[in-house]
This record gives sequence, C-alpha cells and structure tokens, in this order.
Amino acid sequence: MTDGRGLPRRDPAAGPGSDADLAVLLAHVARGDQPAFEAVYDRVAGPVLGMVRGVVRDLAQSEEVMQEVLLELWRTAVRFDAAKGSALSWVMTLAHRRAVDRVRSEQKLAERESRAASAQVDYDDVTETVEATLDRERVRRCLRSLTDLQRESVTLAYYGSYTYSEVAGLLGVAVGTVKTRMRDGLIRLRDCLGVE
Amino acid sequence: MRRASTDLHTLAGAYALDAVSDADRARFDQHLASCDACVQEIRGLREATARLGASAAVRPRAELKARALRAASQTRQLPPFARDASPGPRRRRAYAAIAGTSGPGRRPWLTRLATALAAGSVAVAVAMGVLALGAQHRLDLDQVRGHAIAAVLNAPDVTMLTAEVTSGGTATVLESRREGSLVFTAAGLRALPAAKSYELWLMGPAGTRAAGMLTRSKAGMVGPMVVSGLAADDRRGLTVEPAGGSSRPTSAPIMMIGLGS
Repeated sequence: MTDGRGLPRRDPAAGPGSDADLAVLLAHVARGDQPAFEAVYDRVAGPVLGMVRGVVRDLAQSEEVMQEVLLELWRTAVRFDAAKGSALSWVMTLAHRRAVDRVRSEQKLAERESRAASAQVDYDDVTETVEATLDRERVRRCLRSLTDLQRESVTLAYYGSYTYSEVAGLLGVAVGTVKTRMRDGLIRLRDCLGVE
Repeated sequence: MRRASTDLHTLAGAYALDAVSDADRARFDQHLASCDACVQEIRGLREATARLGASAAVRPRAELKARALRAASQTRQLPPFARDASPGPRRRRAYAAIAGTSGPGRRPWLTRLATALAAGSVAVAVAMGVLALGAQHRLDLDQVRGHAIAAVLNAPDVTMLTAEVTSGGTATVLESRREGSLVFTAAGLRALPAAKSYELWLMGPAGTRAAGMLTRSKAGMVGPMVVSGLAADDRRGLTVEPAGGSSRPTSAPIMMIGLGS
C-alpha cells in the first residue's frame, strides 16, 4: 500500500510495520524527504521511546534521547545499508547506544549500583506501560525460555546499561561466565524469535 | 593468537548489548574487520536485541512529533553520494577529496574492505596500503570525506581494480557503480619534480573530467582519495601535469584502469 508519491503508508497505531517499508522510507529520508521522515517517525518513535525509557527511566530525559535519536536518523539515514541488517535493527541499535551513552555519562557508578537491586524487576515495570504489540508477548515468552543467568545477564546489560564486567560484579559470577551467558542468551532469543 | 581470538569472540553478546567499554568495543570492531562469521553473528544478535527493545513500545506525547519534524527541517543531513540515477554528464561534475583521515575507532567499512581483499589477489598488498595510511591518519567517519569512503567500501557492489603505473608504482581503485564513486590509492609512485604533480582523470563518453590532484606523500603512497561522479563507461587515467593541475590532460596517461583492464 502506498500513497500517491510511492511512500509506504501506515496506520499510526500499527507498530513499526514491515521492515521493507521502513527501509524504503529511510532511503527517501536519506534524500531529504520530510514526509518520509514523518512516516519513519510514526513507525519508530514508539518503539524507540519505549526502549529508551526502559534504559534511561526518567520520562523527560527519555523523550530528549528519543528526539536526539530521531534527529540522528534524519541526519544519517544515508548510512543505512539494507545489506547489513534490517532497518528496525539499525534504528534500535543506534537508539540503544544513545540511551546507554546517556546513562553512562550522566549517572555515577554509585547511583547505578543503587539501582542494581531493582534492575531485575524493571523489565516488568517497563512492559506494564507498553502498547499492545504483536511482538510483545512473543518476546516475553522467548525471554522466559532463557536460563535465569542468561536472562539476568541480558536484561541487566540491555536495560541496566551495565558492562559485562559490571554485570559479573552485580551477579557475583565470573566475568567469562557472564560474557558467555550474554552470548548464549541472545542466540537463544534470536532463535526463539525466528530472526536471522 | 587462536586463544586471543576465541576469547574476543565470546564478547559478541556483550558487544551486541552495548555492554562493553569503549576499549572493548574498539578491540571488537577491529576483530570484526577480519571475521565474516562474527559480522553475521552480530547481525543476528542485533536483530534479537532490536526486537527486545521494540517490544516495549510506548506512545509518545503528540507534541513531540511536531518538535521532531521541526528539528529535522532545520538540520543538515549527511550528503547523499550519487544515490540517485546519474544527473547527466553536463550537470555531473567530478570532484575529488583527499581523505586524510582514518583511525582505530569504529570502522565498519573495514569489514567491507576485508571482503574485497579476500576476493582480491595481487592487489592485496597495495590495498593494505590503504589500511596502513588509514591507521596513520585517523579517519573520522563522521566527517564527510570519511563518510564518502565508507559509502564506497560499504556498497554491496564494491569491486577492486589495480593497474601498474608505467613510470613506477601501482594504483588501486575500490569502486562502487551503485554509489557512482571510487576510492583511489597508489603505492610506490616515482617522486616528481616540484613543478609537476600526478593528476587523476575520469575519461569516457561523458568526456574527460579532472578527478583531482594526488597529494605528495612519503614513499610514493597516495590516498585514500574519493572521486564521485563516476559514469558507467568511464576509465580512470593518471597523467603527470604541471603542479597546479590542468583542465585537460597534457601528457600521455601513465596508467589506465577500466573497460577490460
């Protein structure tokens, strides 16, 4: 489905939509196409804000980061290369990196440590506020299929902004073990989600 | 070596989760440049983290959208390098930029270059000159010229061509038809008198266009130099010109690459 100008159209409540559409839109954005940027916003602002909020926690700061991410997409869309991964992956990777940078630069280690105890339940806090998406239940189910240590390692890293050595300290296990669990956990998540 | 690389490889999960220090990230980026399997793995793991992140979507406040659109309308984008069909020979103007920069930071394009190298043969040593120069000069990919190099090296259709320079030395071209751009490097070029310089040309049905003067550098090494405005049937030629450059070649080419070479 496209509009008169060949841009893929979308119902704003339908989530990120097909990745091929998003990739096409990004190609338009790379050429300065503002309506295409608006369509990209409609697709990714929700997922980006949801993820960033899970990482940054504070809503006002999360909104700021989301705005930075969207502006970065506008500015660097020409760098998106469909041969190297999906459009959603490109967007979320960029966004996560920004969110983590924000947390690491603004919060002292001590503050982060004080959040550590609650980090495990935070994923649930986050998901309570989410919009219903088709993916959500599936991701939760797949997360549950990880071992406890895998799941803790992955979520502490992804939503807690901790490095693997910090995660090792928090969980009281060897650094090498945490590295392995992160990798094994993501591989299992990847296979469960059926992404390649 | 094997042990070090196995150890590095287990970092893939932490890397995909951004759970690494800057130093670890730099190390792993370097590792990625020489490990296609790792690139594949990271791609898959990043699809997984993306889905994990995207599954927690929330609805942003409505006013944020207008703000984002306004900010975009006031923000300059990275230039698109020959993404579109060619604008026609008259409007197309080849330009060259010397990318004097390269560095140990994040270099995803190295992966692409590594692939090109794996596919290459004789030219490997020469193209390695690109890497050597790159490491010396610190390439900041956020800079336009670095970006131009990355655009070529990351293009799915990047190919590598090499040719001997008749007066001595070897030239290597990594080019992408899709990007309409090439990255030129040379090694072992004979030193020229101060009044002379090497000049690169694009020559084809669209006419002969100056593509830039080669900078003088140590040991006859040149590049990497980005040339855009490459047309389908262009050959790339090198001549010796007066130091200021010429608008047309004034001497016979000492190297030609393209069209069956």
